[in-house]
Amino acid sequence: MIKPENQVSIPTRIPAGPRLSIPLRFRDRRRVTILLTLIVLAYVTLMTLPTMIPNHFKLGAALVSFTENIKIMFLQPHLANTTFVTLLGALGQSILLAFLTTLIGSAIAFFFALASTRRLAPTYLVLGIQSFMAVIRAIPTVLWVLIYSVVFGLGANAAVVGITFHSVAYLTKVYADSMDELSPGIIETMQAMGLKKSAIIRQAIIPYLIPSYLSWTFIRFEINFADAIAVGAAAGAGGIGYQLFMSSSFYFNFHEVGVMVYMILAFALVLEIISYRLRSVTHQ
Amino acid sequence: MLTVNHLTKSYDGEKMSLTDVSFSVRPGEVTVIIGPSGAGKTTILRSINQLIRDDDGEILFDDTDMRQLNRRQLRQARCRIGMIFQNYNLIEPLTAIENVLHGCLGTKSNLAGIFSMYRNREKEEALQLLQKVGLGEFAYQQCRNLSGGQKQRVGIARALMQRPKIILCDEPIASLDPKSTVTVMDILRDLAVNDGISVLINLHQVDIARKYADHVIGINNGQVVFDNRAKLLSDVAIANIYQKNVNTEGSLVHEF
Amino acid sequence: MNSDVQQINRFFSKKRFRLTLIIVILGMAYVGASIGLGFQTHSLLNVQDGIAWLIQNFIPNEASKGYWNEILQQLFRTFLVAVAATTCAAIVSLFLAIVGAKTLTPAITVSWVIRAFSSLLRNIPIVAWAMILLFSFKQNDLTGFLALFFMTLGFLTRAFMETIEDFGTEKVQALQATGATYLQVIAQGLLPEIAVALMSWILYMIENNVRDATLVGLLTGTGIGFIFNLYFKSLRYGAAGLVVLSVIILVVSVELISNLIGRLLS
Ligand SMILES: Nc1ncnc2c1ncn2[C@@H]1O[C@H](COP(=O)(O)OP(=O)(O)O)[C@@H](O)[C@H]1O
Ligand SMILES: [Mg+2]
Repeated sequence: MIKPENQVSIPTRIPAGPRLSIPLRFRDRRRVTILLTLIVLAYVTLMTLPTMIPNHFKLGAALVSFTENIKIMFLQPHLANTTFVTLLGALGQSILLAFLTTLIGSAIAFFFALASTRRLAPTYLVLGIQSFMAVIRAIPTVLWVLIYSVVFGLGANAAVVGITFHSVAYLTKVYADSMDELSPGIIETMQAMGLKKSAIIRQAIIPYLIPSYLSWTFIRFEINFADAIAVGAAAGAGGIGYQLFMSSSFYFNFHEVGVMVYMILAFALVLEIISYRLRSVTHQ
Repeated sequence: MLTVNHLTKSYDGEKMSLTDVSFSVRPGEVTVIIGPSGAGKTTILRSINQLIRDDDGEILFDDTDMRQLNRRQLRQARCRIGMIFQNYNLIEPLTAIENVLHGCLGTKSNLAGIFSMYRNREKEEALQLLQKVGLGEFAYQQCRNLSGGQKQRVGIARALMQRPKIILCDEPIASLDPKSTVTVMDILRDLAVNDGISVLINLHQVDIARKYADHVIGINNGQVVFDNRAKLLSDVAIANIYQKNVNTEGSLVHEF
Repeated sequence: MNSDVQQINRFFSKKRFRLTLIIVILGMAYVGASIGLGFQTHSLLNVQDGIAWLIQNFIPNEASKGYWNEILQQLFRTFLVAVAATTCAAIVSLFLAIVGAKTLTPAITVSWVIRAFSSLLRNIPIVAWAMILLFSFKQNDLTGFLALFFMTLGFLTRAFMETIEDFGTEKVQALQATGATYLQVIAQGLLPEIAVALMSWILYMIENNVRDATLVGLLTGTGIGFIFNLYFKSLRYGAAGLVVLSVIILVVSVELISNLIGRLLS
């Protein structure tokens, strides 16, 4: 399917500077890697799909019921067990939770990133911190919240700390990656002028980092908003997620779920607009 | 001023990049190092302020050996050595004046570096330096909006802000158009003649070297093959510097 | 001269003022949000309590060894479901993205419809997906699979669409100018060029879905998430610790494999 050699040659303007041509050997390696990965994925999928449908399962009935519920959700949203104001408050809680965890996470992660970028830190520190963060990242947010609800008691403290954990681990990696992309020449230049490390960080690294710092932090905010909802539902940590969980698995009221989903979608739309604006600002 | 004795360097422990390099640089003169790509020009320059650690030799800057300094002493010594790069290495998101002011941060405290605290005298000097290189009205422009020649001149102003005794220039004009080349080289020449700063420049354009240098050092395959006044740089000497037979390996290195 | 210095001072003061303003606003927002949520800042200083508790209680003990079989089995199922959901979603996404990318789309309205659809799928919370599906499909792997599938479909359609659009209009037009048909352009010009980018998106999503599968399992009562909840709620912490450990090992290995593939592709 994928044959890089057979591709039609595309007339483009020749870029200035030396042209990079990948030796055939490497192109082959890519092709083989992609093909092998696709084969493995296809095999796993084909083997798994049939085993997923349990015996005596009425797929047709399930599908009908599913479309019915989707219809109820989107076409007949209305409230029964709670009020709109309550839901608005719950949505606000989830947004605050996402905001607070992103703020704390981005501040802490910035320092971890400084200590784990190849541009500034010794290799053992880079490897140490990045492996530690990989382990933290590997544990799903909801497990962190569950664990901390036992230690701190169920509530805001557990939710904030739990979500922050994952945020720090994620942001440390992406910030450090952004710093790694900085040309080593820049830092060398500052060192050649005799600048101290603190001055190099403030005067050289931060100015370059700002655009990617903002966009990654914003992406993390979107993730944290989704996590705040999930955690509210799965760990009973409150917010719109908890309401969603109650309506769908306690009252089985999909009309109400519809209202909440619309509210969440409205906020997501706001975020999308902000992210669009942010991108056009940082990309100038 | 600056004397380099028996400098030796190998990056991989096998191939010698510098072999027994000795020369000295006099104040108030433009000294140009010429040689083919991969000859070791950059390695020499970066050894002087110890951006790369050489293997053996002696680098006497104001009678102290740069190689013997500890980290703090090295940092202090670097404050008085200006450096200019082929690709300018400015902090592009910041303005020209901020970049120039970075030149005096080496001698200031951590706090001053973090909060960009400069004395009025320093601010005045930074602006004067920008005016000196003809960029007075660009002081508040972000450097990423400047042209290549302008960026290089900001780079020079930044180096001058260090009040350097010597300025090291690694291919300062390799990315510039002919007109900017003349401007930049004129400024560098002026620094040597009027301010008494030693200027050490890596070049691979022989005609420019002839026009601007007082003293020329020719490098081929990590060895000094010419070390004399610029007016004695004959065509035979140039052919000798640029000959390729010494060691075919490694002398074909792409510059960027 | 003096007025020049004043101008520089004004420049730095303005920068400093802006920075201070941002810090003050964020600080106030922090305090406001903490009060609004009932969050106490000092609990950040007690983070180590959680870790200590984790280390004390989650150490798998003799009793928890008996759970290995069940955990490994559920872990493997969860992994399979995550991979299958990602792969299926990737296939549908690729089709949607090709039809929807602005550079290739047959009509711009189609592009907008697909864009809106993918945005809808992405932004419906996974909790809602899990709950609606649970109601109709009941407690089994299919529910988790579908929840992951819909989320991933939303993400990948958008990601693939952007990858294709980055490929550029001129290149597509240049290909069409050579007389290639629509399908030829896609199969021989486009896909080989973007295959590496698509692959890295798929690998990223698999990684993500293995993690999210735990959450979905928790909500729908299937897979590794379900047994974690079971052990945790019944205070069998040793066994729950074993689950956490196994999830760490799985996610880290998936990440390592995907890094390896990424390096082979670069
Ligand atoms: N970072 C490095 N690692 C290994 N070898 C290097 C490195 N930098 C330079 N070299 C080698 O050292 C020699 C001299 O390089 P360089 O000083 O950059 O030459 P020039 O600046 O004259 O072009 C070359 O043969 C090059 O291959
Ligand atoms: Mg060089």
